[in-house]
Amino acid sequence: MLLRYIARRILYVIPQLFGIILVSFLLVKLIPGDPAVMMLGPTASEQSLAALRDKMGYSKPLWQQFTYYIGAAVHGDFGSSWQTTRPVTEDLFQRFPATLELVTFGLLAAIAIGFPLGVAAARLQSGPVRKFAGYYGLLAGAIPDFWLALVLIFVFYTRLGWSAPPLGRIDMAVAPPKTVTGSLVIDSLIVGDVDALSSSFGHLVLPVLTLGIVNAGPILKMTQTTVTRAFSSEFVRYAEMCGLPRRVVLRQAVRAALPAVVTIISVLYGFLIGGAVLVEIVFSWGGAGQYAVQGVLNADVNPVLGFVVFSAVLSLIIYLVVDLIYFALDPRTRG
Amino acid sequence: MSALLEVQNLVKLFPVSGSRKVVQAVNGVDFTINRGETLALVGESGAGKTTVGRAVVGLIEATAGEIWFDGKRMGRGRNIRSSDIRGRIQLVFQEPAESLDPRIRVGETLGEPLRYLGLSRADRDARVRDVVSRLGLAERVVDQFPLELSAGQQQRVGIGRAIVTKPELIVLDEPTSALDPTARAEIVDLLIRLQRDLGTAYLFISHDLSTVRFLSHRVAVFYLGMIVEEAESEELFARPLHPYSAGLLASVLLPDPKLKQAKPIMLEGEIPSPIDLPSGCPLAGRCPFADAQCRLALPPATAVGLTHYVRCYHHDRVAALDHTVDHFARLQADMNKLLSAGAS
Amino acid sequence: MAESTKPILEISELWVTFPAYRAEAIHALKGIDLRIDQGEFVGLVGESGSGKTTLARAVMGLVPPPGRVERGRVLFNGRDLSRLDDDARRAVLGHELAMVIANPRAELNPVIPVGRQISNVAYYHLGMGRAETDRLALNMLRAVGIPDPERRFNAYPHDLSGGMAQRVAIAMALICSPKLVISDDATSGLDVTVQAQVLDLLRRMVGEKGAAALFITRDIAITAHFCSRIAIIYAGEIVELAETAAFFERPAHPYSIMLLAAFSHSPVLRARWTRVLSDGETVTTGGCTFAPRCVRRQNRCVVEAPTLRHLTGGRRVRCHFPVESDTA
Repeated sequence: MLLRYIARRILYVIPQLFGIILVSFLLVKLIPGDPAVMMLGPTASEQSLAALRDKMGYSKPLWQQFTYYIGAAVHGDFGSSWQTTRPVTEDLFQRFPATLELVTFGLLAAIAIGFPLGVAAARLQSGPVRKFAGYYGLLAGAIPDFWLALVLIFVFYTRLGWSAPPLGRIDMAVAPPKTVTGSLVIDSLIVGDVDALSSSFGHLVLPVLTLGIVNAGPILKMTQTTVTRAFSSEFVRYAEMCGLPRRVVLRQAVRAALPAVVTIISVLYGFLIGGAVLVEIVFSWGGAGQYAVQGVLNADVNPVLGFVVFSAVLSLIIYLVVDLIYFALDPRTRG
Repeated sequence: MSALLEVQNLVKLFPVSGSRKVVQAVNGVDFTINRGETLALVGESGAGKTTVGRAVVGLIEATAGEIWFDGKRMGRGRNIRSSDIRGRIQLVFQEPAESLDPRIRVGETLGEPLRYLGLSRADRDARVRDVVSRLGLAERVVDQFPLELSAGQQQRVGIGRAIVTKPELIVLDEPTSALDPTARAEIVDLLIRLQRDLGTAYLFISHDLSTVRFLSHRVAVFYLGMIVEEAESEELFARPLHPYSAGLLASVLLPDPKLKQAKPIMLEGEIPSPIDLPSGCPLAGRCPFADAQCRLALPPATAVGLTHYVRCYHHDRVAALDHTVDHFARLQADMNKLLSAGAS
Repeated sequence: MAESTKPILEISELWVTFPAYRAEAIHALKGIDLRIDQGEFVGLVGESGSGKTTLARAVMGLVPPPGRVERGRVLFNGRDLSRLDDDARRAVLGHELAMVIANPRAELNPVIPVGRQISNVAYYHLGMGRAETDRLALNMLRAVGIPDPERRFNAYPHDLSGGMAQRVAIAMALICSPKLVISDDATSGLDVTVQAQVLDLLRRMVGEKGAAALFITRDIAITAHFCSRIAIIYAGEIVELAETAAFFERPAHPYSIMLLAAFSHSPVLRARWTRVLSDGETVTTGGCTFAPRCVRRQNRCVVEAPTLRHLTGGRRVRCHFPVESDTA
């Protein structure tokens, strides 16, 4: 039954993707800026501009462009970026691992900060921890991530000199390890390359800290709310009446609160794939978000669309995984 | 005189999502209600009584069968929204707090059904005032919000909203189950008074058997979507002929330690699921009298006496059980004695 | 021996108050006195708002804040539960003092199989290993009459019907052989046939363990058949306390009679005992709380609150003019 469910979900992905691509395609076409002018420069002649447009297919009607795009996409061809002059797929495969590494570790940091604080804030009625958690939840959502990134760089690099320079994922002098997962830190661990490990780890610290601090806010608030609610729910009251020890009751309440927390984590994850772009830019991370933003700024359509498709697929996979986690957590959903 | 409501062979099936099976909620139900009379549907939860009530009011579309109201056939174009039926059939729900909009004042809630009947503002207000006094509520209740009232008062408002259109038939779905005993008694008194004054017929769905005995003229006992016995109220309580009815009545606890029910019938187990009903009598799995015939074919509705129908091959054995004492009647006699003495 | 005659529950002069914002505090319980002996079945009958649930919680030491015990004492087996520290109280609850709840499908943990939940109660109280408590839980499932107990052990609460969930709740309450079982409206949502089965089961199993029981209910009929003594609670006070047989023979308090009158089919007789509150009438402080609704009320009732005093035959009534049996 479970396999049938997964198969059905994967089948649904196809129409979902189609819709996403269609909408994105139309939106992207609305981006101001003439790519021909961008490519040839402002002094180009009208003829060469027209010729270029023809060559790129921009003079054809929209629906034809779309059909052509879909046709190519199905074969894995997402066109090329005129900025990098390379196929978009190649560019993305090179950049996505960077984004994923950053976002994954960043989210893990956010969970590590936000979840325990949320549980503590729900349990404690008063005291410094609760107050701190309250302010934190309030402010974290207001902190712009790029600002925090710059502040951290200023404090830990410029002033204290503790951290690595904010220039990419690894020291230029150090050779990156062999690619296994795409994550520099994990690959260094696998291969056993100490230099690469310490370098890439060092470069990860600040950006991960940035994302972690900013995104711990919503996780904290969600955890606090759902755990508080779980504590006043009827089955917790009943567990108390049965005289179950306090830690057992706490465990049961937290378990009941998990689905909501998992949901918000998955939403954050999907968001951060594109939403981490500012942090990527500040740290010159070379991630996919950066790539897509440059596409938008330069009316380079293919990278943008390619990025949308890739992150849509990723998001859909994440949501499928989350739903499976739900099945594991809550037997009521299996019925 | 033709009956006010006639239900013939009503069937309602609900599909079970994700499979081909169906829930056989209502399986061929027949009954009639005459003007000014109360028919009670009793039975356990899940037996299909609520579904029947909703089908009669038109909230649910029946899968098969016919419903005739005042000699005219309902369904497909003619339902409670039709201009000639509007306001003549009403429904009272179980949870008073849930059926009243908490943001609307009581007076407005009561007047709302009248708006669709095209009454003028002045007429509406007069009608609402009339209803409020019939309900035994103070006049100022019109300006109050539902949450300011007690549960018993809220249920009165629910009934008021039903009678404001002067309906000929009211379907009451467990109207007293959520109330305290004293509030329950008040509502029952109100319903009796209203029936006497307005001549309304009631389809009274309930599992509160003492109230049912009091309030109804006729009682139909439901089990797994069909009526297994139907009789006049006193007759059914004194001489139940179906094993299920006997078992049901024997389970009712009455407030008198001397009236320990004899338990002539023991029904094993619990009501089975209405999906995949076996052929034959629905009680066969639990009935002490069940035999091969019972499991093979559904017993037809047999008439025993003028107005008493039962679906059982062995109803004579049930009749032979020791029912010499109608405990409900005994209780009333004791009650009368108790209550007659000692008031100021 | 003196030990065995010590009451299992002794409530003396219990006052529980809920502070109200910018208004007078609400007294949920006003001077409750109640004693339950070992092995005795006592019924407590009241309508919504009478304080019966607050009383159940106060006995367990679990009055929800901001409510608190203002005065008086609750001694369970000689110990005041509300004065114990959290861990000590948890050791008693579910073990020596257990509650059967009203709505088990909502109150059981929805993500843990029911067999495991029953086993948990034993595991955390009886100091046995998991395997043994699981076995005990399975036996309990069988004992409460759940068919196919091995399979049902792994069922979740939402898989069960109301009646079966209630049996699970009974199993959870009884697995540690408590000395007192409190049933808080435990059968209110159930069908009539299921209610009869569940009550029979409860009576049998509690009796087998020699435990006492407090049946808290809205339905006075239940107490007629399952309790030896009955208490009627109204607006936070006990208004009548009597042996069951004597009570139903001749109830003394006008409110008790009103409760019984709800079963009568005679509106006329019911009306004799019901006084409708007229517009603007409120409860005057200092008098009997039932006076506004009482048909037997006199001037004395409005100004002087009656105490719970003794009548003949061990009965106690909180009324200046109780309905006496045919004497004088």
